[in-house]
Amino acid sequence: MYLIEHDAKELLAEHGVPVPAGCLLDDKVVFDGGLLPPGPWLIKGQIRAGGRGKAGIIREAVTVAEIADHARAMLGTRVKGQRVDAVRVEQKVSGAAEAYLGLLIDPAAGGVRVIMSPRGGVDIETVAAMHIQSEVSPPDIESLCACVRRLAAAMPGVMANALRDAGERLARIFLDCETLLIEINPLFVHPDGRWAAGDAKIVTDDNALPRQPMLRALLDKRSACYPETALKARHGFDYMVVDPAGEIGLLTTGAGLSMMLIDELRQAGLKPYNFLDIRTGGLRGETTRLVHVLDWISAGTNVRVLLINIFAGITDLGEFTRLLVAALPEAPRLDVPVVARLIGNGLPAARKILSKAGIRLHTDLDEAVAEVRSHIEARTSQSHSSA
Amino acid sequence: MINPRVDRNTPVIVQGITGRAGRLHSRQMRAYGTNIVGGVSQKIEEREVDGTPVFRSCEEAVRATGAIASVALVGAMQLLDAMREAVAAGIQYLVTPTEGMPVHDALKARRLTRDAGVTWIGASTPGMAVPGNAKLGFLPDDSLKAGPLGLMSKSGTLSYEAGYRLAQRGIGQSVWVGVGGDPVKGTCFPDLVPFFASDAQTEALLIIGEIGGHDEEDLATTLKAENFRKPAFALIAGRSAAEGVAMGHAGALVYGSHGTFEGKRQALADAGVEVFSTLGELVEGIISHFRCQC
Repeated sequence: MYLIEHDAKELLAEHGVPVPAGCLLDDKVVFDGGLLPPGPWLIKGQIRAGGRGKAGIIREAVTVAEIADHARAMLGTRVKGQRVDAVRVEQKVSGAAEAYLGLLIDPAAGGVRVIMSPRGGVDIETVAAMHIQSEVSPPDIESLCACVRRLAAAMPGVMANALRDAGERLARIFLDCETLLIEINPLFVHPDGRWAAGDAKIVTDDNALPRQPMLRALLDKRSACYPETALKARHGFDYMVVDPAGEIGLLTTGAGLSMMLIDELRQAGLKPYNFLDIRTGGLRGETTRLVHVLDWISAGTNVRVLLINIFAGITDLGEFTRLLVAALPEAPRLDVPVVARLIGNGLPAARKILSKAGIRLHTDLDEAVAEVRSHIEARTSQSHSSA
Repeated sequence: MINPRVDRNTPVIVQGITGRAGRLHSRQMRAYGTNIVGGVSQKIEEREVDGTPVFRSCEEAVRATGAIASVALVGAMQLLDAMREAVAAGIQYLVTPTEGMPVHDALKARRLTRDAGVTWIGASTPGMAVPGNAKLGFLPDDSLKAGPLGLMSKSGTLSYEAGYRLAQRGIGQSVWVGVGGDPVKGTCFPDLVPFFASDAQTEALLIIGEIGGHDEEDLATTLKAENFRKPAFALIAGRSAAEGVAMGHAGALVYGSHGTFEGKRQALADAGVEVFSTLGELVEGIISHFRCQC
């Protein structure tokens, strides 16, 4: 889960990393001057993407009235495809140099890569490679701290101590919280050697959530901010709306095949509504998961047809279709034609069950897509003639 | 060099054989021809499953059966410990289908297996197969067929579909390795290049990729560096996915400009791989290639 800056900084602060004092305003909170650190302030839109300054959602305020103005101007707007649901108001730091510090999992090297630069800030991409130091370390605390110390020793002046101290603290958090990435850019370094995290990007490992109580608590507290992770933690599978105006609800399994189907539908000029990797192996004889999904898909106001695509390697299609036929009436809000493309184990049983339920079964995906198209065209001409 | 050419004599144990998945897949693997010689489970009351002896530890199982390969079907949080046990017992091939292994555990497992010279396939993989011989994991029989394609895949279901359609048209696989969709994994695409380059039964390579991670880009670099001469075909899922959005696999998270569809397509094309954007085109492309050869 890619944390919003505010949550990342709270996590860092709880682990003893200095961050500028700040507070969060969500779109319902009446502005509360009591939580506010001394000004001047930065008002920072909380979306999960880089380049926020250049996108105009990091602004300065000198008076409390300005804070409210900036916050109102940003909240509810869409930036980089995301809605600004909250802003962080924090004390502006001045008179500090800007360095860069990053730790991330390096899959190809099979270790943790530590990256350090005495020059950071918004234009980190243009900092000459000669200033950026990087090394891969084994994933244990002794090796990581040794790696940090080696890199920091090559940094100039007060930067050396600040980056060593910051790096060692982040190394502990990286391992303790099982993060995939921690990036501090800028890392403010004052002339007297004091330092603070100016910005913070943290990506945590959803797979480790069951044994990370602190992150689990954060997710419970702010599930609206991390909908995909919350959904997966709660239900055990992946679902995501890919186009709110989409016309085809998808009941599919397998991430790769589901993505490919979305690609192919779009290439054919059709509009899928959602991505789904339902993991048929996890249905365990109950309709619960299917009913949830059908219900969520019914929220798509333009959805005109449901396309089921299951390649059953291990799943038994007989059992799957029995559950499906039982689940459909339990989700009455999804009142659209159903097109099923099934292949694999238990196909003959599935054929009988679907035929009784009046659902046509395809084994060829292209033929199923052709039927999907005919339903959409029929609905379109219907709505035209009634208009 | 990693050599995934197991056969019907390779002795295999199943860790977690008394679990739901362990039971089911042991039966299916044996039905396919895999030489399942034992299982491991801490459950004291069960001494055998479907006639297969169950041992209390990997060490005991290896000592009694001479197994050199293991398929670990245990929970995500137990996987690292199970792998440590297998490596300590002298297992040489370790296939771990479990989904959801914590990434930091995967880093440790990777170092553990590499240091010990153990071939680790996984995690989050449907496994591997030498069609007509044996399979370790649960690649569907409908998709398996002996033939000329060396198949390596990051995505289970998409490879089933591609393998199935090609098998229906008469083109099967020499060796099929599902490397899995996790970002940190045991065996990566580049690790398999030397084997597929030298394997006499492999006439061409089929790569099933998806957006996110660096596997396809790293593969392209290796194909060039090793001067890979055989024809190679690829299909990559996620062309129309939004950047920064993870779909299913954590590995499908697109970080900035790395791991995008276009970046992967370009890298593979530069390395001489023919990249297709739909399943239909892939199948027709491969069929016409083999037709032209006859």
